[in-house]
Amino acid sequence: MDENEAFEYVKSTLKKEKITPYHSDELEIVKSIGACINCGLCINHCPVVASVGLDRFSGPRSIAVELSRSPPEFWATADKVYLCTGCGTCREVCPKNVNIPEIVNIVRANIFEHRPDLVPKGLMIVKEIIEEHNLAFEPWEDKEEKEESRDMRLERLGIPYIPDVVKENAEVLFYPGCQAEERAQEVREAAKAILDYFDVDYTLLDEFSCCSLPSHLMGDAKTARNLAHQLKGKVKKLGVKKVVTTCAGCTSNLADLSVRDEWGAPAYHLLEYLVEEIGFEKLADALKKVAKPNDVHVSVHDPCHLIRHTSRQVMEHALNILRLMPGVRVTESVEHDNCCGGGGMVSFHASEVANSVVQENMMALEKTGAERLVTPCPLCTAQIENNLFKSGSSIEVDDLTVFIAQRLPKKE
Amino acid sequence: MDLETDLVVIGGGMAGLIAGTIAAEAGLDTILLRKGQSATAYSSGAIDVIGYLPEASEPIISPEEGLFALSRLYPLHPYNVLGYDKRIEFEKVMENIVGRTKDTVTWLKAHLDGTIAPLMGDFESNMHPITILGTTKPTCLIQKTMHNGDVQDREDSVLLFVGIMGYADFNPSTAAKTYLEDRMAAAGPPRKVGHCIIQVMPFGKPYNVSSIELARHLDHEGSIENLAEQLKEHIEQIGATHVAFPPVLGLQDALKNKEKLEELTGTTVFELLGFPPSIPGQRLQRALETIFTKAGGKMLLGHEATSYLKVDDNLKSITAASPRREIKIDAKAFVLATGKYIGGGIAGDETGLRETVFDLKPVTGDYHSAMEIVPSRFTSRLSISPTGQPIQSCGLSVDPRFRPVDEDGLEWAKNLFAAGAVLAGYNYSVEKSGLGVAATSGYSAAKNAIEFIKEVA
Repeated sequence: MDENEAFEYVKSTLKKEKITPYHSDELEIVKSIGACINCGLCINHCPVVASVGLDRFSGPRSIAVELSRSPPEFWATADKVYLCTGCGTCREVCPKNVNIPEIVNIVRANIFEHRPDLVPKGLMIVKEIIEEHNLAFEPWEDKEEKEESRDMRLERLGIPYIPDVVKENAEVLFYPGCQAEERAQEVREAAKAILDYFDVDYTLLDEFSCCSLPSHLMGDAKTARNLAHQLKGKVKKLGVKKVVTTCAGCTSNLADLSVRDEWGAPAYHLLEYLVEEIGFEKLADALKKVAKPNDVHVSVHDPCHLIRHTSRQVMEHALNILRLMPGVRVTESVEHDNCCGGGGMVSFHASEVANSVVQENMMALEKTGAERLVTPCPLCTAQIENNLFKSGSSIEVDDLTVFIAQRLPKKE
Repeated sequence: MDLETDLVVIGGGMAGLIAGTIAAEAGLDTILLRKGQSATAYSSGAIDVIGYLPEASEPIISPEEGLFALSRLYPLHPYNVLGYDKRIEFEKVMENIVGRTKDTVTWLKAHLDGTIAPLMGDFESNMHPITILGTTKPTCLIQKTMHNGDVQDREDSVLLFVGIMGYADFNPSTAAKTYLEDRMAAAGPPRKVGHCIIQVMPFGKPYNVSSIELARHLDHEGSIENLAEQLKEHIEQIGATHVAFPPVLGLQDALKNKEKLEELTGTTVFELLGFPPSIPGQRLQRALETIFTKAGGKMLLGHEATSYLKVDDNLKSITAASPRREIKIDAKAFVLATGKYIGGGIAGDETGLRETVFDLKPVTGDYHSAMEIVPSRFTSRLSISPTGQPIQSCGLSVDPRFRPVDEDGLEWAKNLFAAGAVLAGYNYSVEKSGLGVAATSGYSAAKNAIEFIKEVA
């Protein structure tokens, strides 16, 4: 009996009790709860607690010490556990590094399996879209309209159009992520323009499919494993050496999958790729070639999936790249690393919570006096942009990939 | 991705942040790693230097007196370690020990001025702030928000303990009772103590309210005026001259809030010392981070030192791991400030104690090997006793320059320095010396690391 068969067997024996055994890659996470000393330090740092209060969202500690020990179906936890934005602040401040964000996903997976009636409706809608299209967003019905929208965006932003390339044995697979594939197309195009400018040997997927993070976050473990399996097949078939993405969520998820599923190709964010493979020297040379760059005063937002789920050093890269840009002045906001509220699928079913979290970021942003916010994640971009627009702010938001592409000279 | 720097500090509590700030101010490129928050962030936010001698029930009058006593009773206490430096003449040893601790206290007070955790008090005498239990404790420096003015000096003083509805961490009636009994025994003012409950509802509900919600709420415009309005009636009722709050007066503007409340109510308002993790502890942690980054230090949050490279007696690099990345950092010197059991610098299980980053050999409070000490057998049954828990005194043994030493008494590496709770030979919970030892040893470790780097260059 191999491990999968053993798992299915044990699961079948516990069916009546509505208990799902843990997968072996979940054991570390479950064990980490044992280290919790119940101190409550995490509560003081949780951005959801800060914006909606402890009575609405009982906070990370309660997830670690109470909700994770709830009855097998975890049904009693459903009104709290879906409000976690998965930002990872609790795990980062926790002296014992209890892996609370992943415990949330495990609890959600149990509810999803045994009490799907308790999963917020907004998440079930996303689940259906993913099942039908292998994408987290409803795709464009009309291909031509999609291209028109893309061309309009590129023209407005002054980014050159580079035709899609799909080929085997390229060095790099560029993986845009669902948001950039279907909605923020300018991010996908900007990344291609950057890769093309530096003569990177890259390919796209023949047929794009979701990285599985949204399914993982809503607790749909089965779909998540299916999508991951699909993607592995595509990566293996293309025979690439590295996977590069522009989405923060994809970065951390692909990094996990490439290790767990033995892709043989590590996954990076484009920023990491630029700094580690292209290097500051080449970047500086290119950025200095622009004849008359506009002076612009920017502030930066750090996506949770880059800083707390990957490494804080990635945003050091971002700042160092911005410092190389002539005419760009950066003022850091005191809430630069506060969650935008858009994570953990919260915005799909409790947008009032998500939008309340981002208020802190917006207030701190106004204080910087910056005219533009840049962030290396299309989802953070959308969340912050929408809320700034609604509040009547004049601050514009750009995905950092777009911002970099705009400041590269024309290719000789 | 590799990095190169002058100094790496492992650990971001009091010891690590002070060491880092001093190094950065001296012009060293400094990177500080932190895997999680520290015991400093848990603390009451007051800086203890030395409050009691083990087994003694009377508090110590002044840090200087305490240091003299410690030097006789516990010559290997971390405060005394630098006294063994051969370069110091015998007659000047005590002067050096006291001088270094005093310098640290002065430095800390000066540096935290203007931050969200400004301090008061001095090295010449211990203060006795009141806690949320209604007891007092000896400490060297307090945050200015904790200053209770002349409540124990003024003959006609009347103290009002203020609780908040739905906030379970503070019971004003118990605190008032305990404090009054204490004052009656001491036959000193205040002779009248009262208590009340007011409503502060950060999210519109009078239940399930936490410290952090209150602190953030009180930083918002208009909150203090509202609070003052409710207080007036209670103050008038008992004629209060002083008002004690649980430590929730604000995260960013606590001092401003205290002063505003004083102005609006005509009383002296102050915060009590609270349980971990307290808001003043969080303010202290943040303030220390602020001075470190202002000095030019670089923080790498969410990174843990997982492995190292040592060539002969020289530590070359460490590997810092985040959830999904690893960074190798080369440096000329390193400071180990990983804490004890909360911070995770020392860990113990049924096989014994170990130091978690470099696998150095821990010792007991008597400087015997602690490699085979089983934690459950090295604790006393009485959880709070005048001798404390022996397990709390275990840690690393260091040379006079704060470098960890092996069983043979020789330093493990010539460029690794240790500071804070990872050190052996003191029992902070009994002595009330935790943040003082952390600060002083952090200060010393940094000075020694700077000196070492200069010598090598």
